[in-house]
Amino acid sequence: MSRIPGMGIARGMTITLRRFFQPAVTIRYPEVDPGIPPRNRGRLQLLHDENGALKCETCFQCAQACPIECIDMGGVDTKGRYHIHWGPAETYGERRGESALRRSGRPVPDAAYAHFAPIDLAPLEAILARHDHDPARLLAMLEETQEAYGHLPVAALKHLSFRTAAPYALVYGTASYYRQFRFAPADDAGATDAGARRPTDAGFLAALDASLGTGPRAAGAGPA
Amino acid sequence: MTTLLSTPAGWPRVVTAGFGAPDPLDLDAAVAGGAFDGLKKAIRTHGPTGTIALLRVSGLRGRGGGSYPTAEKWHACATAEGSVRHVVANGYEADPATHVARALMEERPYAVVEGVAIAAFAVGATESYVAVRAEYGEAVRRLREAVARAEAAGLIGANVLGTGRDIFIEVRPVRGAYMLGEETVLLKGLEGKRGQPEQRPPYPTEKGLWGRPTVVNDVVTLGAVGWIVANGAEAYAAIGDPATPGTVVVQVAGAVEEPGIAEVPIGTPLREIVGLAGKMASGHRLKAVVVGGVTGGILPPRELDTPYAAAALRDVGAHVGSGSILVADERTCVVDLATLLTRYCADEACGKTIPCRIGLRRLAEIGERAVSGHARPNDPILLADLSEDIVASALCGHERAATTPLTSVLRYFRPELDEHLLRSTCPAGVCHPVAVASAGSAT
Ligand SMILES: Cc1cc2nc3c(=O)[nH]c(=O)nc-3n(C[C@H](O)[C@H](O)[C@H](O)COP(=O)(O)O)c2cc1C
Ligand code: SF4
Ligand code: FES
Repeated sequence: MSRIPGMGIARGMTITLRRFFQPAVTIRYPEVDPGIPPRNRGRLQLLHDENGALKCETCFQCAQACPIECIDMGGVDTKGRYHIHWGPAETYGERRGESALRRSGRPVPDAAYAHFAPIDLAPLEAILARHDHDPARLLAMLEETQEAYGHLPVAALKHLSFRTAAPYALVYGTASYYRQFRFAPADDAGATDAGARRPTDAGFLAALDASLGTGPRAAGAGPA
Repeated sequence: MTTLLSTPAGWPRVVTAGFGAPDPLDLDAAVAGGAFDGLKKAIRTHGPTGTIALLRVSGLRGRGGGSYPTAEKWHACATAEGSVRHVVANGYEADPATHVARALMEERPYAVVEGVAIAAFAVGATESYVAVRAEYGEAVRRLREAVARAEAAGLIGANVLGTGRDIFIEVRPVRGAYMLGEETVLLKGLEGKRGQPEQRPPYPTEKGLWGRPTVVNDVVTLGAVGWIVANGAEAYAAIGDPATPGTVVVQVAGAVEEPGIAEVPIGTPLREIVGLAGKMASGHRLKAVVVGGVTGGILPPRELDTPYAAAALRDVGAHVGSGSILVADERTCVVDLATLLTRYCADEACGKTIPCRIGLRRLAEIGERAVSGHARPNDPILLADLSEDIVASALCGHERAATTPLTSVLRYFRPELDEHLLRSTCPAGVCHPVAVASAGSAT
């Protein structure tokens, strides 16, 4: 800040003028290090492993950790499907389905993407009001939302994020982490635990009983 | 309901004393039986610092698995920077095969409420929470009722016993995966976030619930606090092992005739604890005991003289964990059992870090290769190496503990493991793919 009016503009113009007469230079990156700041990560890109599978585990850590929320893994693209801002939605979607099945026992069939449909927000507003729009009560609000709608519609998650000011990545991250939540009506294929690879506690206990001989010793019982 | 095993006369009963009361919610009967004596004494006689000092003398340690001195935890929280503090009672009981905490919450809800109230008084917390596994509907109901009745009687709530101090307790059902039992994860759950552990330090006593100094204690730990304050620290310190005194509530299950829970003095030999649950099921021979629940160590019969105390168990490669002791007879294949436990641990890991997300999965795969007859010659080396790496780089206690089942097999049941690895046979005849493979190839 200068005390003489117009001084700032003059200084700016000096720099412009000086640059104007300097020759253009090409830095032979990456052979020559242009002096990139240590925290620069460049363009975000998902890497493939030696088998050609995407290395991303769809754990949503990056989206949740990103301080400026430039990574929005729960975003919606023009086709009405999940996408990320970089890379093709299709490959990501494939990996996402596999990962969701492994981590939560819930497949994410394409049918689930159809649940962006607008919903009647009145029940959700009542839930929000009951919990003071407090993001700290998110878990309770998600439980009640599921009770009210039968599942967690994406529109409800978006609204929860909007009204509580909790980042969508956090709302979606929480909802997708806990096993009791489902994103499709219970009667939808894939919304039940059937065929889930992740053992439920009941499944584990049955296997444990079999292993200890305290229950029916089923043939082949053991690790599923 | 889980049965309470009868213990020899003369064994003190601190936590399980009032079990089996006709109506656990009858406040008058509970008070006549000594409930809230500890709270009154803490408030009227000892004061906050006096109460913590008394607990230090008693030698009480956490029963949630870490065996951390309770007085140190409370002291750290009470002296941490901050104006608002919280107490969280951990009633999640992560281990799906254990019911110790549930039994306590259902049978003696007032003991839990009193313990939380004393902790809140000692550290200066106004709002405290009892986080209960949501599947334990009856425990949630009884605790809520107990809080309401105690509040109506002026034992907790606003202006407790005329001191001007407020002690509010909220019962919060929490639902989710195994990891919710871990303290930082539990706090995340209460805050409405996904359940993944936090780096420590800072410990919850500095930055806990909503960043405020927080005491997280197992409900079973808190269930003993009222008794200790009422009966004096010396009475508790006189029980069991002088180095780590007190009682511990264990659950004995598996191939025994009378599975159940029992309160035993710390330092009781494993053999004696297993004996409380009756004979081995129909004349079978004891082959191994899994000490510590799903992440427990699998010990052979010759280690049964080990005293049930944190340090001694650590030395033999087991831990207190959830307080569960599973008994296996000769029909069980320890490799199969360890693999099952490891697979469960791997599936329940939160996914936050590499040892958790990938390490445990690779570990479970080693076990699965062994039981399916696809083991590689260097698998034992890989198992030992990987376990070491996981323990060294783990973020939370789960990954570290999850290496226990398989490493204890490596330590104690190497011949049986080698049968799987080198000859593709299962001596116990449990691992079917292996047995089938041997029928075709061996002998
Ligand atoms: C994977 C994991 C699961 C745990 N589960 C429980 C549990 O179910 N109940 C419990 O009280 N503590 C559990 N703990 C221990 C808690 O993190 C914490 O140490 C304990 O609640 C502290 O209470 P204490 O000092 O009274 O032992 C668990 C720890 C880990 C790493
Ligand atoms: S979701 Fe997880 S694995 Fe995928 S890029 Fe983000 S942090 Fe990495
Ligand atoms: S960090 Fe994921 S289970 Fe410990």
